[in-house]
Amino acid sequence: MAIPLSWYLIVAAALFCIGFYGVLARRNAVAILMGVELMLNAVNINFLAFWRYVRPEEPLGQVFAIFVLAVAAAEAAVGLALIISIYRTRKTINIDNIDLLRG
Amino acid sequence: MNLPHIDFSVITPELIVIATALVVMLAEFVGAHATPSPTRSHRIALIALLGLVLAALAAVAGLGRAATDIQGMLVADDLGRYLELVVLLAAALGLLLAWDYLPQFTKMHSEYYALYLLAVVGMMFMGKSTELITLFVSLEILSVALYVLTGFHRGQLAAGEAALKYFLLGAFSSAFFIYGAALLYGDTGSTHLVDIAARASGGFLTLAGLALLLVGFGFKLAVVPFHMWTPDVYQGAPTPVTAFMSVGTKAAAFVALFRVLQAAGVSYATWSLVLALLATLTMTWGNLAALRQSSLKRMLAYSSIAHAGYMLIGVTAGMQLGLSAVLFYLFAYAFMNIGAFAVVSLLERPGYHATQDATIDAARGLFARKPLLAVVMAIFLLSLAGVPPLAGFFGKLYLFNAAVQSGWIWLAIVGMINSVVSAYYYLRVTVLMFMTEADETSFLRSPLSNATGLAIAVAMVGTLLLGIFAGPWLQQLGQAALAFAGS
Amino acid sequence: MSMDLTAIPLLSLILWLPVVGALLLFFVRKESTIKLIALATMLLDFVVSLGLLLNWSNTGDMQFVEKLLWIPPLNISYHLGVDGISLFLVLLTTLLGPIVVLYSWHNIKNNLRAFMVLLLVQQTGIVGVFTSLDLILFFIFWEFTLIPMYFLIGRWGGQRRVYAAVKFFLYTMAGSALMLVVILLLYWQTGSFDWIELQQTPLDPTVQTWAFLAFALAFAIKVPLFPFHTWLPDAHVEAPTAGSVILAGVLLKMGIYGFLRFCLPLFPDATLRFAPWIAGLALAGILYGALVALVQKDVKSLVAYSSIAHLGFVMLGVVSLNQQGLAGAVLQSVNHGLSTGALFLMVGMIYDRRHTRLLTEFGGLWKQIPIYSALLLVVVMASVGLPGLNGFVGEFTILVGAFKANRLWAVLGTVGVIFAAWYLLAAVRGMLQGPLDNPANQKLQDLSAREIWVLVPLILLFFLIGLFPNLFLDKINPAVETLLHGMNAAAQISFLP
Repeated sequence: MAIPLSWYLIVAAALFCIGFYGVLARRNAVAILMGVELMLNAVNINFLAFWRYVRPEEPLGQVFAIFVLAVAAAEAAVGLALIISIYRTRKTINIDNIDLLRG
Repeated sequence: MNLPHIDFSVITPELIVIATALVVMLAEFVGAHATPSPTRSHRIALIALLGLVLAALAAVAGLGRAATDIQGMLVADDLGRYLELVVLLAAALGLLLAWDYLPQFTKMHSEYYALYLLAVVGMMFMGKSTELITLFVSLEILSVALYVLTGFHRGQLAAGEAALKYFLLGAFSSAFFIYGAALLYGDTGSTHLVDIAARASGGFLTLAGLALLLVGFGFKLAVVPFHMWTPDVYQGAPTPVTAFMSVGTKAAAFVALFRVLQAAGVSYATWSLVLALLATLTMTWGNLAALRQSSLKRMLAYSSIAHAGYMLIGVTAGMQLGLSAVLFYLFAYAFMNIGAFAVVSLLERPGYHATQDATIDAARGLFARKPLLAVVMAIFLLSLAGVPPLAGFFGKLYLFNAAVQSGWIWLAIVGMINSVVSAYYYLRVTVLMFMTEADETSFLRSPLSNATGLAIAVAMVGTLLLGIFAGPWLQQLGQAALAFAGS
Repeated sequence: MSMDLTAIPLLSLILWLPVVGALLLFFVRKESTIKLIALATMLLDFVVSLGLLLNWSNTGDMQFVEKLLWIPPLNISYHLGVDGISLFLVLLTTLLGPIVVLYSWHNIKNNLRAFMVLLLVQQTGIVGVFTSLDLILFFIFWEFTLIPMYFLIGRWGGQRRVYAAVKFFLYTMAGSALMLVVILLLYWQTGSFDWIELQQTPLDPTVQTWAFLAFALAFAIKVPLFPFHTWLPDAHVEAPTAGSVILAGVLLKMGIYGFLRFCLPLFPDATLRFAPWIAGLALAGILYGALVALVQKDVKSLVAYSSIAHLGFVMLGVVSLNQQGLAGAVLQSVNHGLSTGALFLMVGMIYDRRHTRLLTEFGGLWKQIPIYSALLLVVVMASVGLPGLNGFVGEFTILVGAFKANRLWAVLGTVGVIFAAWYLLAAVRGMLQGPLDNPANQKLQDLSAREIWVLVPLILLFFLIGLFPNLFLDKINPAVETLLHGMNAAAQISFLP
């Protein structure tokens, strides 16, 4: 193969870290969700890379990636619904302001 | 094209519960709108309860039979069946708690019960998965259902916040989980646990994969340092959901953890040390934090974290002894913890803006007002503290025995010391109930709901008798563990 | 008597009868019925326990043994038995039961039913401790006895009852935490939780040392051995009278019993090694308890500190590790239970009347309440060790044993005995003699029939044990001999005969 496996893994890891940073650093709930989605898709790259380079004869890696996409979509739907629900009552989705529960 | 052979008898209990969930969703449309809300809710709850009972019977019927599986992805062995029984027990008790609690704050009965049942399904699948994709999907089923259930009380500000926190942190940890799965896949070319066991290289990829999987599990189990969500979520969620969740997710996650560790491909010495350290951190942090809480639900949340720590001791001890001890403890924990939450649900003041939560002061003078309830609560609390002859003591006995037998003596000592520390905050509640006068902070919801009373009664009987009469049953659990460990 | 009682599971009967009574009480509302059922159950339990004496054989072995495999995977059995060491402790428990119930008939005003249930359940726990021959069963009963006493002190106690109750619970529980781990360790090493089997299995000295220390910590807190005694004064003072009587009379004996039943036979080498340390602590307790008792103003507090002193003395007998020391320790445990129990009862009686326990409030009581004063004098004499009464026999026997082991110990112990006489007699003099000048004391009612009945059995026993000690020592001595022989055989070093 022209592009070594490790490059794909590094890209995936980098994306994962970017998403990780997004989750930790952003204050807006939707932005945090975006970070999470980024992390999930970074892992998808991992799956596809491993599939192609380690065991291309079984479609297992592709299958897992599709499952992850489906689950991520479901989660996003639920998550956005929750965010909208909060917005309706609190008029904010800045997580710094949503802190009734402490300790 | 040949369809793969699928042995549906492997997942009979799950199919029953899924069918019930569908019926419950449709039940919303049956019956006139004229039927008052509580009655409609009770009808739907009854259907759900019947479904749970049927599923439990199916699981019991399967006990002792040889293990069968579906394409290596889902296995029906005794371990899985016992997990189903714990989850169904917790679900049934939690459902009884919701019986009268639910109509008080929402009209979306069938949505609640459908989600509830689907969470149950997710937990049951999780305990039977022997393959990473199935494990991930079941984990997500249960998680997403619980995210929504946590935020169910729309009128209450804390609930939405709790649900959001749970969702964001949960999705975050799922990402770690699948990253670990991806690495293991990359290491071995397969996501089946048996293949991973056979082909794992034991090198960096395996270690990293396992570590990331542990992060994912750690979150669900509320292991320190992944426990941040627990107090807020337990406090903000409706109490029946909290009660169910505290037992069910732990049960499913622990069994799945055992399965994964057995296939780890990393030596026992390595991962057991990591787990021992996590157990120590979790127990200690949980107990110390619980000492400072003034909210009953938060206190029980931290206590939940501590109990996850005790159970981690069982995981550290290894497959045979540790597994049967953890299974036993899960049953005992179902009884005593849900019982405690049941009583807490009776001490909650309904409120709109405030966190609708029972403070410890609400229990003041409870013995004077309702002696039996105070005594029962004392039984649950003392059992949680590990005082004999209650179920909690026997659970800890088996856990510490497993630890000592596998050479983890210091861990058992830490566990015992933690039990003593925890006794302080459990005793504090009994002090308020029995030894102080009731005043304006005390509160008791009335009238006492029959369903909650039934749940409390069942939980009390379990707490009192499980330890004393469960000797032969422990043997069966041990055999299930042996069969699993030997496979 | 010709009844063969060994066929009946007598120990199980004695053990569980109080629980049956407690369950019955759940269905009863009327106060008078509650009182009757509680008293009847306790009396029945006492009568049944007398059956142990009827079929007693004066060997040193375990008698009335019952064994049932309970939790097979862990080899835990329901294993009961009684020998010369535990016989009189069981009888002491069942004797104090009805006495305490009868006393409490008139002075518990609220939640009488709960109070009686707790007393009954407490009795089961204590009898269980004295008769368990399986380590896990023993531990279960040991920890369990904390619960009823905690509630008794916390709900019906005095001003600082919550603090006293929680301290009592946590302190004791912390002490026994290590004991459970060590029990599991022993199981790991030997495969058994059974006392009889463990006695026959030699243990490696390092294991013995740790095991001994863990067990000794738990028992030392219970005795209480200086410096683990700090929970005691608060618990005793704040507890309701019935609670104090059971606490001092029986609960503390569990600690001594623990040493005799577990530390000595199972860990003989470690015992021998640590004996001087324990003796030192015991002596410290004797002197400390006596000195502090001297300056107490509250009479209940005085009795509490005197307990520390007296039980330090008993521990001295235990660590003498010879026939007289051990037999004396067993007998004196029983004696202390009887006399201190009686003392607390009498303190309770005067408190019921005057609602104060300050020594300065009393004086010249002899003139107003002669019966009370006379009985108080007898009880104090028993506690002090007047020849002819029970205390003398026990103390003398212990001194002989201590003298044989180490003369210095005996001398220091004797000093403690003298101190005991000093403070108790001083207190009695202050209370009974002198002018009757406090007007509150001038209208006091003397003892009622019920109160006299409560004290009579104890006082009779003072004389019985004092004048016919062999009736008791005949049963205690064989068991002590067996214990010492066993220790000799198991230990690497031999003991003094």
